[in-house]
Amino acid sequence: MGAHDLWLLSPQLAMAALACTALVVDLATGRSKLVLWLSLIGLVIPAALSIALWAANPADTLVFFGAASVDRFSLFFTLLFTGVAAAVIVSAEKYASRFQEQRGEFVGLILASTTGMMLLASANELITIYVSLELTALPVAALLAFLREDRSAEAGMKFLILSGVSSALLLYGLVFIFGFTGTTRLDEIFARIGDLQASGGFDSTVPFGSYGLLLGIALAISGFAFKLAAAPFQMWVPDAYEGGPTPVVAFLSVASKAAGFAVVLRILYSAFGSPELAVEWSALFAVLAVVTMTLGNLMALPQKNVKRLLGYSTISQAGFMLIGLAAVSANTSAGSLVAGPQSVVFYLAGYAFTNLAVFLGVIAITNRTNDNTIAGFAGMGRRAPVTALLLAIGLISLLGLPPTVGFMSKIFVFNAAVNSGLAWLALAGVLNSVISAYYYLRVIRAMYMEAPTSDERITLDPSLGVATGIAAFGAVLFGVAPWFLLRAAEIAVRSLSGVAGS
Amino acid sequence: MLELVHLQVLSAALFSIGLYGVLARRSAVLVLISIELMLNAVNVNLIGLGAFADRPAESRVFGQILAIFVITISAAELGLAFAIILKLFRSRGSVNTDELNLMKW
Amino acid sequence: MTEALAWLIILLPLASFVAVALVIRPFFNRWSIAAGWVTIAAIAGSFVLSLVAAAAVFNDGSIAYPSRQWIAAPGLVIPFGILLDPLTAVMLVVASGVSLLVQIYSQGYMRGDRGYARYFAYMSLFTASMLGLVLARSIVQMFFFWELVGLCSYLLIGFWFTRPAAAAAAKKAFLVTRLGDFGFLLAVLYLFFQGGELLDVPTLYEAIHAGLIATSVATWIGLGIFAGAVGKSAQFPLHTWLPDAMEGPTPVSALIHAATMVAAGVFLVARFFPLIELSGTTMDVIALIGGFTAVFAASMGLVANDIKRVMAYSTVSQLGYMMLALGVGAYIPAIFHLFTHAWFKALLFLSAGSVNHAAGTFDMRYMGGLRKYMPATYAVMIIGGLSLAGIFPLAGFWSKDEVLVGALENGSPVGIMTFLLGLIAVLMTAFYMFRAVFMTFHGSWRGGADAEAAANASAHPAPQAAGGHAGDGHGDGHGDGHGDEHGSHGGVHLAESPLVMVLPMGILAAAAIFAGILVNPPTALGPIEKHFFGEYAAHNKPVFPTHEDAVRAGAEPHFNLVIALASTALAVAGIGLAYTFYGRGQASVSLPAPLAKVHRVLTRKYYFDELYERVLVNNLFYRRFSAAFEWIDTNWIDGFNYRVTLWTERSGRALTHLQNGQIQAYGTAIALGVLLTLAAYFVWGA
Repeated sequence: MGAHDLWLLSPQLAMAALACTALVVDLATGRSKLVLWLSLIGLVIPAALSIALWAANPADTLVFFGAASVDRFSLFFTLLFTGVAAAVIVSAEKYASRFQEQRGEFVGLILASTTGMMLLASANELITIYVSLELTALPVAALLAFLREDRSAEAGMKFLILSGVSSALLLYGLVFIFGFTGTTRLDEIFARIGDLQASGGFDSTVPFGSYGLLLGIALAISGFAFKLAAAPFQMWVPDAYEGGPTPVVAFLSVASKAAGFAVVLRILYSAFGSPELAVEWSALFAVLAVVTMTLGNLMALPQKNVKRLLGYSTISQAGFMLIGLAAVSANTSAGSLVAGPQSVVFYLAGYAFTNLAVFLGVIAITNRTNDNTIAGFAGMGRRAPVTALLLAIGLISLLGLPPTVGFMSKIFVFNAAVNSGLAWLALAGVLNSVISAYYYLRVIRAMYMEAPTSDERITLDPSLGVATGIAAFGAVLFGVAPWFLLRAAEIAVRSLSGVAGS
Repeated sequence: MLELVHLQVLSAALFSIGLYGVLARRSAVLVLISIELMLNAVNVNLIGLGAFADRPAESRVFGQILAIFVITISAAELGLAFAIILKLFRSRGSVNTDELNLMKW
Repeated sequence: MTEALAWLIILLPLASFVAVALVIRPFFNRWSIAAGWVTIAAIAGSFVLSLVAAAAVFNDGSIAYPSRQWIAAPGLVIPFGILLDPLTAVMLVVASGVSLLVQIYSQGYMRGDRGYARYFAYMSLFTASMLGLVLARSIVQMFFFWELVGLCSYLLIGFWFTRPAAAAAAKKAFLVTRLGDFGFLLAVLYLFFQGGELLDVPTLYEAIHAGLIATSVATWIGLGIFAGAVGKSAQFPLHTWLPDAMEGPTPVSALIHAATMVAAGVFLVARFFPLIELSGTTMDVIALIGGFTAVFAASMGLVANDIKRVMAYSTVSQLGYMMLALGVGAYIPAIFHLFTHAWFKALLFLSAGSVNHAAGTFDMRYMGGLRKYMPATYAVMIIGGLSLAGIFPLAGFWSKDEVLVGALENGSPVGIMTFLLGLIAVLMTAFYMFRAVFMTFHGSWRGGADAEAAANASAHPAPQAAGGHAGDGHGDGHGDGHGDEHGSHGGVHLAESPLVMVLPMGILAAAAIFAGILVNPPTALGPIEKHFFGEYAAHNKPVFPTHEDAVRAGAEPHFNLVIALASTALAVAGIGLAYTFYGRGQASVSLPAPLAKVHRVLTRKYYFDELYERVLVNNLFYRRFSAAFEWIDTNWIDGFNYRVTLWTERSGRALTHLQNGQIQAYGTAIALGVLLTLAAYFVWGA
């Protein structure tokens, strides 16, 4: 441990310090507005440190005896989480009036959860993974229960219990992996598995070469699938989305999911990246992808509540991302292993812009109407033209039409699938996109084709407007000019040992 | 003679009982206790792996470290869970999980 | 010329589009006059940069800026970049130059229209997409801008969308050109699935040069590309949309006909000329369709009464000339004709707009005698007409002559045939052009829009239903506040148009005179070298390797005195004929019975609209094919679709019942999920 470790881990440390500062300032002054703006300004520090580290690109990325690896993969996500946290905090400025008391704690808890996500994206060791996963989840459970309504408490309770069950499953899986390989570090796990394969310790008639590893990997994936909102581990999503405060739901749907995918990508490609194992887990993800997007889409069709609809939408989007996880090229020609993870990372970043535009737009409208039903959005094209436009851009990107990033994301994911010989999966994805048009367009139709229920104009708060505008602008920008983000995603995934090794 | 496999069977049994409890008990408090049971099943496994497996000493320690972390975190989780349960109890007068169905479909 | 400057040529009008559409129109519409000035400034910038680019090509030859990657995922690479060769340079100057003059003219023409800012937003985007098309280095990029050009022309033709005729014309233009685009798309897809490297134009040229493209492949790709060009350039049989496109504002027609939309088709064929040239079949098809269109369209121009429609048929016919030239291998003459045609055709359209400004209608039967009231317009229209007819020494004479020489020197039967078609078209062109001039400006004033309205009212109780000839929409019933300046009924006010409109016409008239003799003189004229334009356009060694020799040969169109005399004689004969029939400004001429039948066929446009709409679409398609398909559709497909939708929705509803709100049900799902995963691995694993 030394100065180098502290420098590498500085974004996470800065974020943790910021979370503590927010709580202390709230305790000392009790002025929640002050806490909010202070934290927003403070978020510049972890962001700047992440950028500096990305630029410096140190050769030795391992921190604290290999517990974490601050490589460009983790820095990509660090930056993403910081941006999402900023947007969520801005969006809560007006919304926070509905919280019972603890408006300052809201910011502190968001920042604490963000710290957990940043650690999760860089975790290189099973214990670190478990601890940062819980650091991510517990503040969110508290935040979901932040509203006065019973629904909010129920959402928090459901999330907490199911999260507990799934982390027990995950832990059980991690124990099997640890027991089988005798180490908790991902790079060492990879090496042990390689040794065992070389020395003939693998039984080729058993999936993953041994029952211990099979149980370990299957249970671990099941545990993570809860975070990713993959079916059938996704059932908490609609209820939590409907009941929880909207800014928290936005955070949950964007950042928490990205963190889940980040850690899954790292584990799969760092520890279990050998071709023999990759074939096994990619098959599981292919099945999960189809089931997840189909279930999410079908169940979204009859929804009438926008927040609940977005819950199902999140599930179906997770299904599309899972396609990218399944797209591990069986043919090991150079560079082909990049396509899958690259498309997932690109999708996650584009999805962050897209979904933030949607959620912030929903918050801007429902803050005033207090009506979460689709019918409540009728005529918003006239009552709130700017907000409705930004929201529509987000929805079109979710649907995946050009010129938005959603379209590009789907193209890349499908391309990765086709290149890995999973054309059927890409086809299933296209069919699901068609189904999803029905419910996304329904919201747009309500906004533009239906008569407004009142003539009152809904103005957009400047701060929320800027945040929504940035998100929608990003959703269009990376749809027209994807190369920058695509290149960044490629650099990020190439720092995973399993991807770079090919 | 106690061997690793005995501990693993014990752990699996405890885990299953815990899972059954989570799925079957009505009271939220008992559901939470069942989750604790699942986590402790994992702990038994961890300690067993550390104590029996013929691994280098430094890696055997990791199991015990992880067990301590699990205990700590589950305490935090319980604290949060009981806060929410109290909140629910105040407003609804019941902590039965089957009554937590305001949101569905 | 740095690459950034080249990009700026596209980005300037694009920026003005964004500024007008997203800033000026929504927030400062009260000062919408700024929209015009912003657009003019941006396009002027593009024009200056285009001249710089042309000079750079003159000094350094073609410049292929590095190919960049728009998308670069493994297995999915789409390049983009800028290619600046002589063809691009010529097109840049033409497109930005004509567009600039048209925008200045529009300042006067569109003043007071409620859609003023919207108009300039569309015009900026239109210009940007055309410039993007000609600068494109990758074929995907080309296709993107190609479609954007189509979209913008749709928006502009349907600019006065409240009028049913305009909306219908816009739809027709879009659908008919899309039909051709399908062929282009197939060609692009073919190249894409060949590995994507051939999507880069210089790479494609090199592959052709290295003989890597088989003739059969070249034939199919070439025909696909030509199909796209047929749609955009309104060649037979997809010509029907262009006359209807007159529903748009007149400056838009000028831009579409001179420099952007229809020129895009010729540009596309020229761009892929090395590929097309590989296949004799494709070349012959192009030459024959071009030659036929030249005569076919001119013949319909002979009888049209709407001055803009005369111009429209003239454009189709002249584009036929260009295609004909490309088809017989006369690459340089084709580009040269595109270049000269742009100036005089823009001039003619702007003159027509100016006439409309005074008469309030486009129907020549209600004009006449305008010579007295608008002498400037009369003068420039005569210049444009003479140039179009190909009278020495105006611009049209030089370029048209080179096309004819090219066809004759080709020597093949196709060459001879197209040469003869070209000669016939010369006669017709001179006739219809001067018929229009005489009907409009000579004789006595016949009342303009007022008389037309009266005639319509007496013929039809409801004048609104009188069909597509009801003028340009200057106030005539579309009620968008455009009428204040022109009076309520198309506003007759017999006076010369304002300076802001006359000035661009004057500049164009100068170009229509001198763009031939000064740009491509048959002998050296002081500092201007002999055949300057031809040499310039042929000076494209780095990116056009195969074709260098052939193009060089084409660059020396040995000026043929016999052909020049013959075509001039025909043109003069046409003008004379027009004078005999219409010289005193007659509104109509009584014809003997057999000719009257021909006249009727011509005015009905050879019944092509009827053929397409009634016979093909209605009878054959709807009644025959569709009857069969309908049966299948209602019994199988519709039932199938209905069931699929029904079951999708039902299953959605059914599935949501799983989501019963019970934590423990959700937990059970998780447990089952784990068990199923493990079971699947045990059953199917390993």
